[in-house]
Amino acid sequence: MDNLIKVQDMCKVYNPGENEVRALDHVNLEIQRGEFVAIIGHSGSGKSTLMNMLGCLDVPTSGSYYLNGKDVSALNDNQLSEIRNQEIGFIFQGFNLISNLTAIENVELPLIYRGIGRSKRHKLAKEALVRVGLEKRMDHKPSEMSGGQQQRVAIARAIAAEPPVILADEPTGNLDSASTEEIMGILKGLHEAGRSVILITHDNEIADQAKRVVRILDGKIVEDYYNSGRKAQEA
Amino acid sequence: MGNMIEYIKMALKNITANKGRSFLTMLGIIIGISSVIMVMAVGDGTANAMNSEVEDLGTGQINVYCSEEASNAEEWITPEDLTAIRESIEGVDGITPNDGASGTTITGKGEFALSFSAGTEDLQKALNFNLKRGAYFTAADVEEGNRVCVISDSDAKRLFGSDDVVGMDIDVTIGGIAGSYRIVGVTQQKENTSFISYTYEGMPVALDVPYTSFEIFGWKSDSFYSAVVFANDKASSEDVVREMIHLLETRHQCAGEDYFQIQSFQDMLAEMNNMLAIVTTFISCVAAISLVVGGIGVMNIMLVSVTERTREIGIRKSLGAKTSSILMQFLAEAAILTILGGIIGILLGLLGAVGACKLMTASMGSTIYPGVKASTILGATLFSCGIGVFFGIYPARKAAKLSPIEALRRN
Repeated sequence: MDNLIKVQDMCKVYNPGENEVRALDHVNLEIQRGEFVAIIGHSGSGKSTLMNMLGCLDVPTSGSYYLNGKDVSALNDNQLSEIRNQEIGFIFQGFNLISNLTAIENVELPLIYRGIGRSKRHKLAKEALVRVGLEKRMDHKPSEMSGGQQQRVAIARAIAAEPPVILADEPTGNLDSASTEEIMGILKGLHEAGRSVILITHDNEIADQAKRVVRILDGKIVEDYYNSGRKAQEA
Repeated sequence: MGNMIEYIKMALKNITANKGRSFLTMLGIIIGISSVIMVMAVGDGTANAMNSEVEDLGTGQINVYCSEEASNAEEWITPEDLTAIRESIEGVDGITPNDGASGTTITGKGEFALSFSAGTEDLQKALNFNLKRGAYFTAADVEEGNRVCVISDSDAKRLFGSDDVVGMDIDVTIGGIAGSYRIVGVTQQKENTSFISYTYEGMPVALDVPYTSFEIFGWKSDSFYSAVVFANDKASSEDVVREMIHLLETRHQCAGEDYFQIQSFQDMLAEMNNMLAIVTTFISCVAAISLVVGGIGVMNIMLVSVTERTREIGIRKSLGAKTSSILMQFLAEAAILTILGGIIGILLGLLGAVGACKLMTASMGSTIYPGVKASTILGATLFSCGIGVFFGIYPARKAAKLSPIEALRRN
């Protein structure tokens, strides 16, 4: 079966030298297409660093990373931008919407950078917003929406271009419990529709809702299991 | 790069979303460009007006005068010199001594100071006036020493309350001796001559008279400090000057003594233009400085804008914007702001120039048209765009090169 994500022996070292911080320490991880994985860890465990690596926001110090069959561990800035645009849909804890753009304009952004023409772009963005239930809020600015609605816009933005990987970094961290449930519902729905979802969280309850849990501690993967209880694979 | 239209749209969106900031950014450019254009237009317009005025009047007019050495040697220009010059030098249309006297007159309107310009009938060639009534005095009047005079319409009104004065006599006193002059002609000021012949309250009444007409007042006009030669278009004024000096030096047997000096109208014109050019250059420098300051204003606002929008840059980059995309977006923003500022500046500058010229026209009586050159507008516009792009590049590069993680981390 083809791996969507294959991380081999990945290390990330900050401040190399005497005060070096080894944020990732020889991490190996494989994620298949269509999986719903939660990466869980305390703050400082290295989960954010791993998320940056998986999201191609940063490059590892050593090791390799194959995303959708491509080696992306040694790409330059421009190539990384392209990969982020084509392969990954980000959902952030702080929503990260652009405040002076409307919901639909925010959703269109990655499509603009992909070079998709105006009418097709508009159509895709609209479909994505409909899928998260915001068809009535398309022309609202982020400031006119609740946190849950803003995060739904962000999800629409992440899925509009149909990227192979949806990477959600603490997507419910800033939300109340009702909105949390709503967002988790949408993510589960995406997984059921066949999308690959990777969720980074520190919350066991959230992690429990994923199909597979990868626990990280001090830059190492210490646990990797399916929520049905049995061990998935050797790390 | 095929997304240029999208970047321009994004830039426009940002400009309109931050109207106040955008306006302040443009303000520097607007002030800079409008002041450059205004100064250049008014400067060139004034120069043009002065040139055409002087050209109208003074072409071929050459002043010859005696130097200090000549005065010390008691050598003066004589009526015979004038005749000789008139008769033997080719290209001389006329010649008149530049003589004068002052006196007073009392009329029903009160007592007035008089200023006599004395010369031959050729004096009318130097006039900034058109004849309105009567005729100028003639060669015969000069020959016979007739006491006849020509007066301007405004002076006639001052003296008599009317300009219908041909044939009337003016009783004058010169050096304590009384006499009278008959008015033979009334003149009217030409249009657009205010640079050369300005008038003021209480100015003496000016009369043009034959230089031979002062005999009854006790002096004979037989030597002059200076004379005016009128050369026609066919002769080059250099040739006329050379021959004239040669002739005078031969007649006074003073070759090589520099007794006789020349000042032509062309020299005066060149001098005037020089001065004007210096003033225009100076003011243009000041205006250019304001343009540069405006550019630095653009850069500062761009820097602030970049800092303020670091997070937005991070979001865009995480969504797949390339460094070049961000760069283009910010550059487009800077370019649009400066081009807009440039256009507003050009319009305001032109308006200002028209206004300033109207004001000057009203206060000076000379019509000044703003001398707008396409090169000025083009130059100012290119300069402003250049400033926008140049000062936009630094902050834009700074923004575009941020790593997305770092940019996202900032709030």
